[in-house]
Amino acid sequence: MGLFSAMLVFWASMLVIFVMLNRGIWVFTDVSKSMSMFMLEKALGPAADFAEGRKGSGAKAWIIQGALWLIPASTLTFCGLWLSHDPVALHSLSSWGLNPTSSSLIMAGNLTTFYGSVGMLMIGAALHIVPSLGATSLASEKNASLMSFVWTLSVLVLIIGSNNPEVFGIKLLLVATALHTLSLMAVIVNMLLTAASRTRKMALPAWLIIIGLISDPLSIVVLAVAGVLDSGTGQWLAVRFAVGGFFFMQAAGISLFAASRGTGNPLWSRSLAAVTMLGAILTINPMGYTDGSIAADLLGIDPASLEPTRNDIIAGSFLMALAAIPIIALSANILATMRGDDVFMENPDYPGMPEINLGAFMLLPLGIGALFVQTDHLTGTNELGGISSTLVIMVAWLVMVPLALGSSLSIFPEASGRNVLSVSRSRWAYWAMAGGAFSGLIITMMSDFADMSLAEAAVESETTIGNRLRVLGSVLFYGTVIGAVLHCLNMISGSFRGSLIGELSTPSSTSISSPFKLTEETTVRKILAQREGKLDTVVVPESNSESPGKPTEL
Amino acid sequence: MTDGDGALIGEFLQGESEPDSSWILLVLGFVSTLIFLILFSILYPNNDLPVISSVLPVFEGVFDSGIWFFILGIMIGVFAILGTMLTEATSE
Repeated sequence: MGLFSAMLVFWASMLVIFVMLNRGIWVFTDVSKSMSMFMLEKALGPAADFAEGRKGSGAKAWIIQGALWLIPASTLTFCGLWLSHDPVALHSLSSWGLNPTSSSLIMAGNLTTFYGSVGMLMIGAALHIVPSLGATSLASEKNASLMSFVWTLSVLVLIIGSNNPEVFGIKLLLVATALHTLSLMAVIVNMLLTAASRTRKMALPAWLIIIGLISDPLSIVVLAVAGVLDSGTGQWLAVRFAVGGFFFMQAAGISLFAASRGTGNPLWSRSLAAVTMLGAILTINPMGYTDGSIAADLLGIDPASLEPTRNDIIAGSFLMALAAIPIIALSANILATMRGDDVFMENPDYPGMPEINLGAFMLLPLGIGALFVQTDHLTGTNELGGISSTLVIMVAWLVMVPLALGSSLSIFPEASGRNVLSVSRSRWAYWAMAGGAFSGLIITMMSDFADMSLAEAAVESETTIGNRLRVLGSVLFYGTVIGAVLHCLNMISGSFRGSLIGELSTPSSTSISSPFKLTEETTVRKILAQREGKLDTVVVPESNSESPGKPTEL
Repeated sequence: MTDGDGALIGEFLQGESEPDSSWILLVLGFVSTLIFLILFSILYPNNDLPVISSVLPVFEGVFDSGIWFFILGIMIGVFAILGTMLTEATSE
């Protein structure tokens, strides 16, 4: 079965899932609900008592652990970048039986970033968003809290497995996949039960999250049923499905919600949100790994080389080019939502907003860049293969981490009941993390280009320019580690000592010196934009009058 | 234990009553260490530092790359987080 046929099966199964989500499973709906609820809590036995069932505890557990994973993720990536110019820097670890290489550390760093940090932060935010949009409560807070530790265990196994794939004949990456699938299935059931108990129509971000979660296991089942999982094309497609479904759709859902909630602006366009969801399902997302062998490693099957047919290349390239539509739609929708519908006035002090801004801004250049690299890889040209590793790290640290972390930071106060300890520290952490990732990775990419050019020109002498740039790139990337530490300190201290939500702002009443004439319906935003008031101005209407035709005086 | 005792322990763990100017002591300690090292090298040239010179060879081959200074920074960060977790959890 070719690439397009596998896509057709995937689309059909997604349609079936969507219909079942809205219609239920015929007469089995009630039985499946009660059975699922039993499996989530009672079936766990005494284990369920280890976790508290307080409202928001599930989301908080996932968000804090996701933030903590940022430190090993950035450290492993930093060490991987360093070893690319100084391969023997960590040779003293060989006395402990460890022989890390640049590629193994970067792979471990990427897996920790995607599954440890981004995955946990997204699920944590989702556990708050879905009940919030459905005006209900999470089906099982206890199960959500417990599963966060299973997921953390799976990430730990992932890190060990990426350096030492087999221990006593057991494939560690497969064990990690099994653990993370177990945890993911519990989260999906929890989300579905929550969605089933909704008391109002849920907005699109919630559906983006739920369908994104379901698409992860579903895509693997579809590829296995289609019989392409052992082929290079199938494995490449498995990576694309994971990026486009689990990561992109969830990131879209949480960042659209957080952009709206954090700035106080309504979602700019519901149509663009729908385009994002439909586009993410119907197209092939080019961001992420170019090689499908990572999927083979995680699924414990033998990696196969990518040998697409002519039709596969045409269909794959076409569907990847179409992925620009949901990417642009998401980026535009987030940025427009953050800026409001009239003037440029974002809320820079609200933690998480700068991160979401950065992620939405970088979506487009990195999405288009990834499109070129993937098309180059799919067609077998491989002229841009030299930058693909750095591009994956850029997608991780300049799109996925900012969107997931930004959304989680803005949701964290509602989930935990307390604000982060210091807004100022949050801002410093943002600059360290964003500045380190942006400058460090851009310079590393410059080095990649220098190496590619020299390799093309068949220069045999040692390439000192590339190495010097790599030194600078890895040192600058260290800012990301500092930012991760600052964010964690801020969140941990905030969850204990942060100001309780709702007690921060104490409005003070001031009078506006000059009367501001209103000739038509307007917003406070517009009044402030015209410099007629201050942010702490409280506008109090004097009285209601039935007399028409006169400008209102403030 | 009375509430007052609890508050005192919390204060002790958080170090919230530390004077703002306490950083001066840290700087003084750092400067006096530097002065001592410089004086030692002037007064006893070509002589190894007592105790330290016998401990340092243990780490030979470990800190032979600049990456270890960065890893040291990361370790400080990780211990700061662990310390924060412990003190925050015990102060309430």
